[in-house]
Amino acid sequence: MNTTRRPALPSSLRTTLIALGVIAAYVIAWRGSQVDFPRLFRALATNEKGRELLGDFMTPDIVARDIAPVTLQLPLPVPCGSAPEGEVAASGPRLAPSVACAELREKFTVEGFDLAPNTELQLRWRLPSDQYFPGPFIATDADGHFSAEFEARPIVATKDGVPSKIEVELLVPVGNPKPSPAVYEVLDAIVITIFMALMATTAAVIIAAPLSFLAASNITKHGPMGAAMYYLTRTFFSVFRSYEPIILAMLFAFWVGFGAFAGVIALAIITIASLGKLYSEAVEHIDPGPMEALTATGANRIQVILYGVIPQIVPDFLSFTIYHWDINVRISTIIGYVGGGGIGYYLAQMINTSQNNKAGTAIWAIVIVVWAMDFLSAEIRKRLT
Amino acid sequence: MLEIQHLHKVYPNGTVALTDVNFTVNDGEFLVVIGLSGSGKSTLLRCINRLIEPTQGKIIWDGVDITAASGADMRRIRRQIGMVFQQFNLVKRSSVITNVLAGRLGYANPWASLLGMWPKEERDRALRALNRVGIADKASARADALSGGQQQRVGIARALMQEPKLILADEPVASLDPVLSHSILQYLEQLNRDEKITAVCSLHFLDLVHRYATRVIALKDGKVVFEGLPQEIDRARFKEIYGEEAVEVRAGMAA
Amino acid sequence: MRYSIASLIVPGLGQFLQGRRARGLGLFGLIAVMLGLIAWAVAPPSTFSESTINFKGDPSNWMWLVVPAIVWVWAVWDAAAPPPAWSAWIVTLASLILFYSLGWEASGLDPAALTKNFERAQLVLRPMLRPDFIQPRAEHHEGWIELIVPCGETPAEGAHTINDTTLTLSAGCTAVGDTLTVNGSGFWPDTDAQLVWQSPIGDFFPLRDEANQFRSILVDSQGNTSASFVVPNAIPPGIDPTLPQEQRLYVQQSRPLGGYELSTNGAFVVQGIYQTVALALMATTLGTLFAIPVSFLAARNLMSANPITLAVYVTVRTLLNIVRSIESLIIAVVFVVFVGLGPFAGMLALAVHTVAALAKLYSEVIEGIDPGPIEAMQATGANWLQVVRYGVVPQIVPPFTAFTIYRWDINVRSSTIVGLVGGGGIGFFLVQWINLSDFRAVSASFIAILVVVMAMDFVSARVRERLH
Repeated sequence: MNTTRRPALPSSLRTTLIALGVIAAYVIAWRGSQVDFPRLFRALATNEKGRELLGDFMTPDIVARDIAPVTLQLPLPVPCGSAPEGEVAASGPRLAPSVACAELREKFTVEGFDLAPNTELQLRWRLPSDQYFPGPFIATDADGHFSAEFEARPIVATKDGVPSKIEVELLVPVGNPKPSPAVYEVLDAIVITIFMALMATTAAVIIAAPLSFLAASNITKHGPMGAAMYYLTRTFFSVFRSYEPIILAMLFAFWVGFGAFAGVIALAIITIASLGKLYSEAVEHIDPGPMEALTATGANRIQVILYGVIPQIVPDFLSFTIYHWDINVRISTIIGYVGGGGIGYYLAQMINTSQNNKAGTAIWAIVIVVWAMDFLSAEIRKRLT
Repeated sequence: MLEIQHLHKVYPNGTVALTDVNFTVNDGEFLVVIGLSGSGKSTLLRCINRLIEPTQGKIIWDGVDITAASGADMRRIRRQIGMVFQQFNLVKRSSVITNVLAGRLGYANPWASLLGMWPKEERDRALRALNRVGIADKASARADALSGGQQQRVGIARALMQEPKLILADEPVASLDPVLSHSILQYLEQLNRDEKITAVCSLHFLDLVHRYATRVIALKDGKVVFEGLPQEIDRARFKEIYGEEAVEVRAGMAA
Repeated sequence: MRYSIASLIVPGLGQFLQGRRARGLGLFGLIAVMLGLIAWAVAPPSTFSESTINFKGDPSNWMWLVVPAIVWVWAVWDAAAPPPAWSAWIVTLASLILFYSLGWEASGLDPAALTKNFERAQLVLRPMLRPDFIQPRAEHHEGWIELIVPCGETPAEGAHTINDTTLTLSAGCTAVGDTLTVNGSGFWPDTDAQLVWQSPIGDFFPLRDEANQFRSILVDSQGNTSASFVVPNAIPPGIDPTLPQEQRLYVQQSRPLGGYELSTNGAFVVQGIYQTVALALMATTLGTLFAIPVSFLAARNLMSANPITLAVYVTVRTLLNIVRSIESLIIAVVFVVFVGLGPFAGMLALAVHTVAALAKLYSEVIEGIDPGPIEAMQATGANWLQVVRYGVVPQIVPPFTAFTIYRWDINVRSSTIVGLVGGGGIGFFLVQWINLSDFRAVSASFIAILVVVMAMDFVSARVRERLH
């Protein structure tokens, strides 16, 4: 950088030096950020855990149905003719034995169709006495199909014209799909998040608005007291603008406890600094003419600010405030990740406990809310100007 | 009567704006101050109501030394002195009526004015003032929705609200085209004639000076180089004031 | 009258029909939001909120219905005739009370906690006044000797020589609470030494005297020393205290060399800040490189020619909007799983977010370019490439650069936090120090962040100045 200030340096040398500096910066940065693209590509292709995580995020936990036990039954007379034969349904979850009736000690197979895929079930006999006689454990394949060996033992023989039945108990989703518990949890978390942003922004506006006048050179910088105030507020603004609110939130969690409040304080402080700077620039750019004119009419200093300054800055202040409210909603979605509170905290909890579908619900909620806020704030600001 | 005695102004950066300025303005006069840009016209006008602090000298108005007045006294004096500005100095985002009412701030109850509450008589007064300058229909428009000439009329209405005994007009028509210039100056002339409001006005165009001034003062490099009647400014005087290369531009010609 | 009835049926409908559409929509939206919030407040809490907010599910929340009712009445009134100004104030005030009351409860505001827990704040702030970044340079000299606590079958030797020092103990084994004497030789003469204990699992802790001060012993001008000490209970919980364990007594000396050096944590701060700046630079560069081509796909004026490109435009726009809404911290969670802990994951997360954010800004620039110069170039007979080079590029480069610098500022800040989830940079160390309550190190990293962010702001401000 220093070399550029010396006019004596020939421009070709200067260009070379700058180019070398840029290359050096990138070499250092490349090593510092441990760039390893082959690793990324390998991971994208082979890292099952990562793909699973992404897949879970993409399939949020939104709907759930109540689960109810349903029993599938099929009468199987033993021996043949002792009772009416059962009829195998044409479709839907069903049991289909290879024979319609069986003689004693006869071996046959029972197949099941259209059951829940990849689940373990236990087959059983329901005897004429209404008691159970356990059959084999089976597992359905990916199509919900199974096939099992049965033997018509004497205990399953028809009694008093009542045949035994082959039975399987299924857990079937019943009723209409309804929002899953995750939806209610995420709704709570997101409402809290929006309120966190609202409270922090409001608190920040109330504090930043008067402070910004202290940090405006055209208002404050009169006399040593004024200059001191000016530099003090300026420094405060630039110091706190440098930090991400989430870092401060972790510290405030020590002070006021884990939860949304810590996040609100941290967010408010950073917003005071950030808004204060924007506000004070708006104050610095006002037209001094009206102030002069009002002073000339004999108005006092407060009247001059109220009638000559405020009307000029209100639209800018409003616009900046709405812009920041939008940013703050964005930030509050993550501020709870380590400090507690809001959707960020929920997200952290779900990711840490590997409930990644629920985390997916939270992420989609964030997308929708941030998107909506973005749109709303842009629309409102368009109208203000 | 306004008396300026040995007025000096040196800016903190060392610029000498006024050097030993002396003159008197009698009640009811329309005094025009002429001179090149940077000759000290604006500084002189602003020293009179102390928007700029004079370095030395006295300004006596109706027997009161303005330069010695303190805070509250100064505000009481200021509210009797209307001012009209080259750039109009309106709050562009406020309504016209609010801008006009602001001229009354020096009289208003400070607390009520903080809340934006104005008694009906003040609103009526503001409407009358706007009526006088012919834009009563624009009362609720935003100031920046008005044309330049209209904005300057709002500026005059604001000064009228002060019920001034003296109006200071700093290049009131320099931002306007010649036709509008005449209409604005005619309003000032009317006030000067009908209401006996003394006017001190700085102007650029010589033909306007001839048309409106009852007396003229010329400044050059912060010194009074001429004081007399407008008719006295002939070609030679003009060159003396404005320099050898100057060409007399008439407002009417520029149109 | 009929407008009033319209507003009575659907709030704001009357205003909408009167042509005051913004006001109509606003009233409708306001009441809809209020009703939604009240419904939310009345509904029972979910597992997430039951421990954090206690007003949820309380039937008394129904009373808030008064507020939308007031607004509704006002809407009917407003549709009939302009209501006086004070009524608008009442409506505004009532709405604000509703929103801020619920907001106060929902975000758990508790200003009393600020004063109530002030001692806790002091525990944080006091060490922060002494940032752990540098320490006086010093050299160290130490000797140690083993002993068995409690006594077992084979006691330790009772003497040990290392680093030219020799230590002897009055017994090779002992029990907790016994007093032993240690004699040493070969130490730096006339320099105080510290007694430090090493537990069986390798933890060090300084021995303390009755006044709870660190135990410091005198070394004479020959480098000899002698001291008695009480054997501390250094057996960690979970280990059988009757089992003989090897423990060590260290005698340590240090003397200043003059000047300062980085402390251990200071070195970590430097490493973290280096990674932070590096990953911000790489992420901004990568993000820019990818955002430029993507932005052309997301520019409506270039893509609306036929249905296929229009579909591409809509898809790209939607994807960008989705990714832009997700903070880079969350994206970093995914990349940490893919490529492991470290700055590379954080860099990728920042880069992805940067692509989404920049591509949108860039595409708006492209949509806003002036077609005049392009037409003029075409009129001169320039070919497509020439048109792009002389008609398009000069129009888009300055705003592209401005947006990139703006993004660079944001990325420098964001790169300080991607480490919180394992994405490298200073945040990675910071979150651990906060969890360990090492606030001196936290303070050092705060200062480092401040310096770096301000320096980067300064650099980008200078670059911006030059571009103008």
